[in-house]
Amino acid sequence: MISAHRLFKSYAGIHKAEVRVLEGLDLEVAEGEFVAVIGPSGSGKSTLLHILGGLDVHYDGQVEVAGTQLRGLSDRRLARFRNRLVGFVFQSFHLVPNLRVFQNVLLPAFFGGDSIGTSDQRRAEELLERLGLLAKRDRVPSQLSGGERQRVAIARALLRRPLVLLCDEPTGNLDLQTGDEIIGLFRQLHREGLTVLAVTHEERISGAAGRVLKLQGGVLVNSHDPQELER
Amino acid sequence: MRVGSLLSLVRINLQREIRSVSFSAFGVALGVGSLVFFVSLGLGVEKVIREKLFAVDQLLVEVAPAAISLGSFGTPMNQSVIDRLSALPEVAAVFRKMNVRVPAMSRYDSDFFGSPLRMRLEILAVGVDPGLLKRDVQLGDFTDPPVDQPIPGVISSRVLEIYNKSFAPTRNLPQLSGHLVVGFTFPVEFNSSIVVPSSRGSPIRSQVQVVGLSDRALLAGITIPLASAIRINRAGLVDAETFSGATLVAKRADLVPIIVAEAKKMGLKIDDQERRLAESVGLAVTLTTSALALLSILICVLAAANIAQTLFASVRARAKEIGIMQSVGASRTDIRSIILTEAAAIGLAGGACGTLVALGLAHLADRLSGSYLPVFPFKPESFFSSPWSVLLGGVGLGVVAAVLGAYAPSRRAAATDPAQTLSD
Repeated sequence: MISAHRLFKSYAGIHKAEVRVLEGLDLEVAEGEFVAVIGPSGSGKSTLLHILGGLDVHYDGQVEVAGTQLRGLSDRRLARFRNRLVGFVFQSFHLVPNLRVFQNVLLPAFFGGDSIGTSDQRRAEELLERLGLLAKRDRVPSQLSGGERQRVAIARALLRRPLVLLCDEPTGNLDLQTGDEIIGLFRQLHREGLTVLAVTHEERISGAAGRVLKLQGGVLVNSHDPQELER
Repeated sequence: MRVGSLLSLVRINLQREIRSVSFSAFGVALGVGSLVFFVSLGLGVEKVIREKLFAVDQLLVEVAPAAISLGSFGTPMNQSVIDRLSALPEVAAVFRKMNVRVPAMSRYDSDFFGSPLRMRLEILAVGVDPGLLKRDVQLGDFTDPPVDQPIPGVISSRVLEIYNKSFAPTRNLPQLSGHLVVGFTFPVEFNSSIVVPSSRGSPIRSQVQVVGLSDRALLAGITIPLASAIRINRAGLVDAETFSGATLVAKRADLVPIIVAEAKKMGLKIDDQERRLAESVGLAVTLTTSALALLSILICVLAAANIAQTLFASVRARAKEIGIMQSVGASRTDIRSIILTEAAAIGLAGGACGTLVALGLAHLADRLSGSYLPVFPFKPESFFSSPWSVLLGGVGLGVVAAVLGAYAPSRRAAATDPAQTLSD
């Protein structure tokens, strides 16, 4: 489902010194897998996620996600890829503040290329009901708790029935209990067949994942069984 | 991205930033409003000049014999010259003119539409081929009548306007409509003058009956049938053979310069004083209007600059939001479209409001002028002319100015790097 081969990424740091974050990284994730990528802050986890999700196009190497070769895709096709095949969940939720909960969930449908129909609206309602937020559909994000906001973000990510869910520190801004609830949700989605790739430095998520990879020195150097990692 | 989706997002964004949006729209409204107001005023005044003050028919060419100068007697305009003019392929018709070459005066001492009037007036008269005034004659035939019958006369419609707005009010005389004047008969003595005594022949006492009003009639005098003028000139023992001029009707307006050139080749002069005067006044109005329109366009440019600045700030503030939209499937074109459509909506609202306000102000100005400005000749009911092209052009200018102002911000928004803006 996800295949990255010899990924290189660098950027200009302080005093224009080149900072290399990915140095020939290889990654293979099978369909329906739940993979956690762990690593310290600044190790390039988010960068990797952005590249895999088609948000970052400035890299060297080959990336294929859900059967789509990302390298060389036009901006339009890349946007379509993000709209149809992947869903993002961010640490800071990234909801649009002036849109109501329902509109936030429906946001990907605005860019789908089709008119927003009743099927989109029904899907958004189903997701909100499943995530226990239907009663709050007309609230704006500032009226929700952190956990609720993250659930709205997950509902938004799932609206277009993506094949891959990419999560960037999804519990980073949540308290322990709410974080566990969100992790439980990811487990459930994974059981339903969704491919989940989460980058995190929290062991709670890696404990829920089927496979854990560690990003170190710009490459994925260790691959652990979650139980082994816990031990 | 579908238009419906685009408009929904734009509506949400504009509602959120209603304050800055209103300010930007106000700038556009100011520019468009003043442009529509001044252009409508210019067109209105030009219309008065064209239709009332100098009603110049674009197809007509007035030719006259060249002025007599030292060593030259010019070209007398006789029938052979008229025939040569008629033979020009560009000319549709030729109407001859002959001045009544003896002095004429009117002694009026009678009831004048309900008011007593006693007046001595020197009169100028010109005879023309009846076809020239055919469309304006409302009573009887415009032909030379038997000697004991009144001569049909056509007066200038502009003279009636000057009489009604200037002459009548100061002398307590009644206001006259065109219909009222038609049929009015007054005495005229040809070959007679209150200024100079006649040297040859005896006075020819006659009457003139007004049979119509025309823009083609002599401005300061009466226009009578050519045959009547010839008869009077013969009786007054003056030249009754050569014509004072002719009115040529061109087949098309673009053929006029060719006719003018041909007439000049024949040694005739072109009497285009009125046309040139109309053009000069029209040019002055156009220049003034253009200067004011330019000022208005400058306001629109400033409004566009203001929109650019507002949208730049907005794009900076919304960078994360733009990144979010990109993460869920917005392309650069989508982002650019959103910003440009927001600007277009601001321009449309500002342009429409400005146009409506301009129309309202024009209406108010007309009402005030009707109530407070004194009556004067050719005073129009409205000083403004607002054709649909001006109104739609005003709104269109508002949209164009706003979209141009939004161009650079939209490019900057589209260049947003989502990976950078969404990094936690």
